[in-house]
Amino acid sequence: MDIQLKRGLLDVCVLAAIKNGDSYGYRIIKDLKPCIELSESTLYTILKRLESAGQLTVYTAEHEGRLRKYYSITQEGLRRIREFLEEWKEIISIYRFVTGEDGISQ
Amino acid sequence: MNKQEFLAQLRSSLAGLPKDDVDERVSFYGEMIDDRVEEGMTEEQAVAGVGPVADIVSQTVSEVPITRIVRESMAPKRSLTAWEIVLIVLGFPLWFPLLVAAAAVVFSLYAVLWSLIIALWAVEISLWACALAGIAGSVVSGVSGAWPAALLSLGGGFVCAGLSVFLFFGCVAASAGAARLGGAMATGIKKLFIRKDRSK
Repeated sequence: MDIQLKRGLLDVCVLAAIKNGDSYGYRIIKDLKPCIELSESTLYTILKRLESAGQLTVYTAEHEGRLRKYYSITQEGLRRIREFLEEWKEIISIYRFVTGEDGISQ
Repeated sequence: MNKQEFLAQLRSSLAGLPKDDVDERVSFYGEMIDDRVEEGMTEEQAVAGVGPVADIVSQTVSEVPITRIVRESMAPKRSLTAWEIVLIVLGFPLWFPLLVAAAAVVFSLYAVLWSLIIALWAVEISLWACALAGIAGSVVSGVSGAWPAALLSLGGGFVCAGLSVFLFFGCVAASAGAARLGGAMATGIKKLFIRKDRSK
C-alpha cells in the first residue's frame, strides 16, 4: 500500500480507537488488532504525530499504584475523522466507477 | 530478559539521543510491559511481545532529526574547564578545516550520487529527442525523394526510441535506488553519532 495513504489510515484508526472514551497505549493496540496489527514503536510515532497536530491530548493518571498515560481526542481529532469519512465516500464512488459496479461505466 | 534488563538495554542503545526523548520512550515501553503483565503474561513474555530492542532503536533513529542528534552528542556533559576552552580556541585552525572537509566529503558523495541520476535522465531525454528528430528527418528526406536517407533516419529514430524505452525503466529504478541510498546514508551518519556516544 502507498506509504502516505497507509500513514493517514493508521492516524484515523488510532483516533477512532479513542473516539468513544480515553484510552491507553496497550488497549489501543488490542482494540485495533482485529482491524490492523500495530507495533508499539509504530503506535508511539502515530501518537506523537497526532499530539503535535493537536488531534489528541495526553494526561497521566494513577492505575494500580503506577502511572499510566491516557490519550484523549480533541475537537480537531473528531474533525479529522469526519473529513476522512467524507473523503472516503468520494473514493468509494471512484472504486465503483473503476470496477463498473455503478452501471455507468463499461 | 526481564523488564529492568530490557529497559536498561533500550536506554543504553538510545544514549546518543536527547534525554527527554529517551525518558519518554523508556516510560512508554515500560508501561506497555506493565499492562501485559497485568493481563496475566509473565515478564519475559511481555518483553518478547514488545519486540526486539534493535527494531525499536532503528525506528527511533530514523525518526529523530539529525540536527537534534548532533546537537545532543556535541553538547558537553559537564562544563568545560578554562584550559579546555583555551585548547578549543587555539585548535580552531586545525579542527575547523577538518570539520569543513568532513562535511564536504559527505556533501560531494550526495552530489556524485545525484549527478549520476541527472546524467542518466539526460541520456534518456536526448534519446527521445533523437528518436523524434530521426522520424521527422525521414519525412523530410522522403518528401524530397532521397529514399535511402529517409530509410536510414527512420531506422535510427526507431532504434533511439527503443533504447529510450529500455533506459526509462533503468532511470526510474536508479532514481528510487538513489533515494533509498541517500536515506540509508543519513541513518548511517546518525547511528555513527549514537554509537560514538554509547562508547563513552
